[in-house]
Amino acid sequence: ATSKKVITREEWEKKLTDVKIGKEDTNKLVMNFLVTEGYVDAAEKFRMESGTDPDIDIATITNRMAVKRAVQSGNVEDAIEKVNDLNPEILDTNPQLFFHLQQQRLIELIRNGKVEKALEFAQEELAPRGEENQSFLVELERTVALLAFEDVSNCPVGELLNISQRLKTASEVNAAILTSQSHEKDPKLPSLLKMLIWAQNQLDEKAAYPRIGDLSTAMLEDPAV
Amino acid sequence: MPASASAHRPEDLISRLSVSAADGGANLKALRELKNQIIGNRTKKLSYIKLGAVPSIVSILASASASADVEAADALLLQSAAAIGSFACGFDAGVKAVIDAGAVPHLLSLISHPNDKVVDAGSRSLKMIYQSKLAPKYDFLQEKNVTFLLSLLNTENENVTGLGASIITHSCETCIEQKALSDAGVLKRLICLLGGSLCQRYASLESLATIIKGNPEVVSKYLGPESGKALTAVTELTNDRCPRTRLLACMCMIVMRNTSPCYLQDVGTKTKLVLILLELLDDPSQVGDEAAFALSSLIAENEELQKLAFEANAVDKLCNHLRKGPLQAKRIQGILLALADLCSKLESCRSRLLSLQVLNMVTDALSHDSANVRAAACICLKSVTRSVKNLSAGSFMKEVIVIPLVQLLHDTSTSVQVAAIGAISNIVVDFTTHKSLFIQCGGVKQLVQLSKSMESTVRVNAVWALRNLTFLIDNRCKRGIFLELTASALTSLISDPEPSVQKQALALVRNLVDGCIDSVDYVMSEDGHILHAIGWQLQTASKPEVLIQGMYVLSNVASGNEFHKEAVMHQILLQSVIIKHLQNNDSRLRTAAVWALVNLTFPGSPGSHGRVIKLRNAGITSQLKNMVNDPCLDVKLRVRAALGQIMTFGDGST
Repeated sequence: ATSKKVITREEWEKKLTDVKIGKEDTNKLVMNFLVTEGYVDAAEKFRMESGTDPDIDIATITNRMAVKRAVQSGNVEDAIEKVNDLNPEILDTNPQLFFHLQQQRLIELIRNGKVEKALEFAQEELAPRGEENQSFLVELERTVALLAFEDVSNCPVGELLNISQRLKTASEVNAAILTSQSHEKDPKLPSLLKMLIWAQNQLDEKAAYPRIGDLSTAMLEDPAV
Repeated sequence: MPASASAHRPEDLISRLSVSAADGGANLKALRELKNQIIGNRTKKLSYIKLGAVPSIVSILASASASADVEAADALLLQSAAAIGSFACGFDAGVKAVIDAGAVPHLLSLISHPNDKVVDAGSRSLKMIYQSKLAPKYDFLQEKNVTFLLSLLNTENENVTGLGASIITHSCETCIEQKALSDAGVLKRLICLLGGSLCQRYASLESLATIIKGNPEVVSKYLGPESGKALTAVTELTNDRCPRTRLLACMCMIVMRNTSPCYLQDVGTKTKLVLILLELLDDPSQVGDEAAFALSSLIAENEELQKLAFEANAVDKLCNHLRKGPLQAKRIQGILLALADLCSKLESCRSRLLSLQVLNMVTDALSHDSANVRAAACICLKSVTRSVKNLSAGSFMKEVIVIPLVQLLHDTSTSVQVAAIGAISNIVVDFTTHKSLFIQCGGVKQLVQLSKSMESTVRVNAVWALRNLTFLIDNRCKRGIFLELTASALTSLISDPEPSVQKQALALVRNLVDGCIDSVDYVMSEDGHILHAIGWQLQTASKPEVLIQGMYVLSNVASGNEFHKEAVMHQILLQSVIIKHLQNNDSRLRTAAVWALVNLTFPGSPGSHGRVIKLRNAGITSQLKNMVNDPCLDVKLRVRAALGQIMTFGDGST
């Protein structure tokens, strides 16, 4: 027997019904999620069906998604041109992002076996950036190291060739574009869920109650008696 | 899809820029290609500038609107404005090229363009220009300029308001300008923008800080409690999600506090500021670099805030960051300067720093590539070496510290030299008399060399270091220093045009003659030029600090042998200078003057009787009698001692 207070499912569900949440708030959360993650069509449809206003102009989402897709498919030069059309300040004021995009370009050249071009590119475009910032030099050396190995997929720096590297870069660009548009780069929904988990962990120390174990179903689990 | 780099050689692109717009948009393509090559790439920007690309682009900007095809015209405007903005982005050579090519008026005209994208491009590029020191000065005292500025701030367009804020941040300097802007309602609008979008928030915070900086009148009129929620708005922004906003909000509050200390008295707010800045240090971007500098500006010269910072573990946090190398130069500089401020007055901070074993990192920074870092390391050492406890234990007189410092005495940068001398000045006060180490490392040679510098700051500090070095130093080393310096150089320093140099030189002499009787001979060498120079200063100088040091030198010399005493007599009787000093308002000077007389009339010396007669005849004894009840205790006691001695030779009545 524990000294914790026990709350039955009945009591709990009654308390839950007493909490009022506006439909508008829920809709805004959903819209915020769709817009930040870049689901343009879904956002547009949701806008039409629910009447919720997106907090960004949907047209700008399209542009941002085009950039993200370009990076994800390895068309980095195209992505750079698109970002510059969107807002030339982004890459000019974000040396780290710019370096990562150029690094991705190098990785793509290496992936496609264009060794000479890769070396030329590294020398002309990336080496000067490395001179401007020591930490870039380390990254550059790692990337160029790819050329030293016969079996690239099994070498120490092989992870650079993974899709995950493209996704990482794509995410970085996405965040930078959102920030430049004065929009928060993270959707609110995950933060809410984190808050829920935290609150439950706090309450666990004091009471036994119907918790949500699986976030995706949000089903209440009966408290252990 | 992308063609190889060689097909787009810079020279080719530039020549294609001049092709007329009618030629199938070839110049538009070239322009866009160029823009994409230079964005983010400083090396390329420089090479295009050298190849003369900028004037070509500006002429496209100027003539684009003439085109009948609106879409084509807008595209050219967009790309050329963006390219110009990129050249100007964070790059002084680019800003200069762009301004010289006459871009500014054309960019200004874009702000009223019907196409929003063109307006955006134009205002972004102008903002880049105005973020540089080379930007044209904006005349805030002209009404039409202020009206234009207000129109920029009143739009909905983020880029345009950002431009307005940028102009203020970088051009507003004087109190008059600050007042003009606040009276015109600019401050009010900026406060509104604090509630705007992310970009508007931080642009407005920077401008706000610029307008209130150093202007208590503006602060009380527009930011005081009666003016509503302005201060609250800024305080809330210190909790904003965006690190840059938090930093700028803190910096704004720090400016407010430094301008009008009556605000932000509350300890809770001050502690919060310290904590936020310490947390911002973790940010890897420029925000983290700036946070260290902001911390310095918060705690500089303020013992109470230094204490608060110490209690918030600032020393540990800053030292941990130092350990995380390799760091960019700016960050190291910021951290070292913040540590310097922390340790400037509090022994607790110095002990903590030393106990964390990071002194070696500070001394490593003495040989950093960046002059700013080297200077910051010296300044940090200067603060740490104020620790009397450690000076007495001889903790700093070590080769690993002294050798790099002495090397910095011939650094190419003057500010580094001066900072190094500052650190050395403290270290040589070493009480364990291991000063010979410094001399062996060639330190004296360097300091003497620097005492001849054209720059008065360098001279003053070099002589000060020598003064500290000679304090309680052993005779052998003293002789060495004197020979290196030479009597004539010392004479010149005593007669230096700068009073601050005179004072340090006299204090140096005071230390030289201190000790045994032989030391007094230093001032008598070469026909006593030094003594004459001192006498001359006593007659002509006006600064009390100089006169006091000079008087004490004579006082010390007067404790020597008969020859010395007579020489002093001669000096003090010239122009009755001694009477002038006995009557001076500054009690420290009166004290020093009486000390000299005490030594001159010492009963044990054979010539004292003769000197007493001379003093009486010169009216000095009467002067002393008038001072028997001097308000300053030190003076009173010495006067009575002197008179007591004089009376032992009889009361002089005949």
